[in-house]
Amino acid sequence: MASEVKLPRLGQGMESGTIVKWLVSEGDSVEKGDPLYELDTDKVTQEVEAEASGVLLKIAVSEGEVEVGRTIGVIGEEGEEVSAESGDPEGEKETGPAPPATEQARDEGAEQSAEKPAEAPSRAPERERGRAASATPKLEQEAREHGSGASADGGRVKASPLARRIARERSVDLASLSGTGPEGRVVAEDVERAAASAPAPVGTEAGGAPSGEVEVRQLSSVRRTIARRLTQAWQAPVFQIGMSADMARVVELRERLVERAGEGVRPTVTDVLTKACAVALVRHREVNAHFVDDAIHVYGTANVGIAVAIPEGLVVPVIGSCESRTIAGIAAARAELVERTRGGKLQRADLEGGTFTISNLGMYGVEQFTAVLNPPQVAILAIGAIEDRPVISDGELDVKQLMQLTLTCDHRAVDGATAAEFLGSVKAFLEEPGLML
Amino acid sequence: MPELSYREAVRDALARAMREDDDVFIMGEDIAEMGGSMGVTQGLLDEFGAERVRNTPISEMAIVGAGIGAAMQGMRPVVEVMYQDFTTIAMEQIVNQAAKHRSMSGGQVKVPLTIRTQGGAGWSPGAQHAQQVEAWFVHVPGLKVVFASTPADVRGLLWSAIYDDNPVMFFEHRTLYGIKEEVSEELEPIPLGQARIHREGEDVTVIATGRLVHEAIAAAEEAEAEDVSVEVVDPRTLQPLDERTLVDSVCKTTRCVVAHEAVTRMGFGAEVAAVVQYGAFDYLDAPIERVGARFAPIPFAPVMEEYVVPHSNDVLAAIYRTVGRRRGE
Repeated sequence: MASEVKLPRLGQGMESGTIVKWLVSEGDSVEKGDPLYELDTDKVTQEVEAEASGVLLKIAVSEGEVEVGRTIGVIGEEGEEVSAESGDPEGEKETGPAPPATEQARDEGAEQSAEKPAEAPSRAPERERGRAASATPKLEQEAREHGSGASADGGRVKASPLARRIARERSVDLASLSGTGPEGRVVAEDVERAAASAPAPVGTEAGGAPSGEVEVRQLSSVRRTIARRLTQAWQAPVFQIGMSADMARVVELRERLVERAGEGVRPTVTDVLTKACAVALVRHREVNAHFVDDAIHVYGTANVGIAVAIPEGLVVPVIGSCESRTIAGIAAARAELVERTRGGKLQRADLEGGTFTISNLGMYGVEQFTAVLNPPQVAILAIGAIEDRPVISDGELDVKQLMQLTLTCDHRAVDGATAAEFLGSVKAFLEEPGLML
Repeated sequence: MPELSYREAVRDALARAMREDDDVFIMGEDIAEMGGSMGVTQGLLDEFGAERVRNTPISEMAIVGAGIGAAMQGMRPVVEVMYQDFTTIAMEQIVNQAAKHRSMSGGQVKVPLTIRTQGGAGWSPGAQHAQQVEAWFVHVPGLKVVFASTPADVRGLLWSAIYDDNPVMFFEHRTLYGIKEEVSEELEPIPLGQARIHREGEDVTVIATGRLVHEAIAAAEEAEAEDVSVEVVDPRTLQPLDERTLVDSVCKTTRCVVAHEAVTRMGFGAEVAAVVQYGAFDYLDAPIERVGARFAPIPFAPVMEEYVVPHSNDVLAAIYRTVGRRRGE
């Protein structure tokens, strides 16, 4: 029975070696233990001994780099047919299960241990090395000849229970591995190596897919843009600051504006807020800016983007020059944009030119949140719900209609004090709308 | 800390128990004036007198049978069967009587009997004096089985065996009588059913009993020199068995070798391998290796005897098989 010569693993982490030259020619007879070929690893060049006696029937790989576990030659009896052709580890034949270890195994072990130890290759001592499955052992030769490890021949892959468990946990296909354990068995180290070298799945959690049906949704162009821009935003060094504003005056103002609106568009709190932000932005222009490459572009007019949820995701239509619009004017522009947005009729121009963004989740009952920057803008304001809160003012407990404002800033363009001054202005305008005049 | 030989440790446990407790007495062939054929009971006749240190006829059946009777009457006898090979003659008393009375009487009768015996190869005693038969008794419900490998263990375990209310087969190994170990001033009983981790390691667990504990430690040291880290665990009590410690160790190292001097086939290691594979299945990275004597009567000729019974190099070869390496690699 022919015995395949496989490239041994001579140390942990060794994945391939380079065959320098064969010391025995095809057709020559070899004794178990004879130097067979010279192998160059990243650590050392050494002679590798034959693991079986017989005739070197075939040299499958005469020289060059070879991965561990690959068949590089065949030793057998004179005249024996050789089936291994390419040295492909997958091309092995599984001829049947290995016989169970018997007394014979121990006998061989005893002989083995009585042998003069082979010259140890010079390797740095590693604590882990003992754990590593090393070169294919010469023991249990007979058993090895009957089996060939991780056969993809439709037979069961030979793998240790531990290797199976790790493969299960880390979603590694055992059949794709070439075992380096005894009899070509896949051992834990083989699986760990495969798992470590596999590309990390993008956007999914490690630890395997959850069970059940998976609905695969291709990214829409909107979703793709969101993904690209928010990933870009995530690279910016941002910071957040927060303040609460007493919204009593705004609520009051809005009610009066609604009364006056008649058949026209009814202004919302967001419209008042947009105006307040716009006025604050032109007073604190550093926040009304873009960070572009290595420059900061500061704008003199506040084009405020309003984040609007649509079924496909999120869009941010922009209302230009809000500082010079009335609240009613902002409301009208906003209503038109939102309608176009929801009707899918937005034009590219509607989305361009923004210098600042407001994202309001107050209508969903969100009390406070932080928004992700909308690049190249340098700031975005996250608005929570208006809620009655207990407040202590002048030593008295009072109930006020508070709204939380959380400003996210790109620290490359805006510093904390600037951000605080801007947010302080917004707060002041909300608490005393007359200051906007 | 005094240092005692294994032989002295057995004697110390016997003497302390006899001093402490008038119910404890010893019986066996040539144990009185001669001090036992292994010299274990030397001096005990002088201290405790002929009534409590009793020579017996050469009849293992009678020795054990008398011990059972005394135990049932409330004594705590320690009887000695000179060679474990001779337990065959007392098998009826041990298996059908000692092991059964407590259960068959519904707990009305207890048999707190300790049967000390020794044996083992390594000094050419021949096929009828060199066997290791401890596994036979692990197969019998109603018996406890102890196999101590060091002086401290043999002392603490013998004490616990004497004070256990069940019959205990207590195995000593002939070649261990001379080994020494520091023991505590006070005798600290070692509970039956508690394994001892002799040596901690990361790569392979060797579960060994008796003489093979020492062979395993020697093999572990050799393996260490080649960067294979070996844990050596001695169950000490074969029944009850400290399964948790054995399984935990293998879960840690992922590889296991079982080693004893008795023949591998149906040996105690087979049971250990079964327990370990069940408890540590998902942690095993290699088949469990068994080390034991070849399946042959122990030869008299020293070289043949040495060939048949396992030594540290056999343990070492098994260790290397589990890590997929050959010696010197």
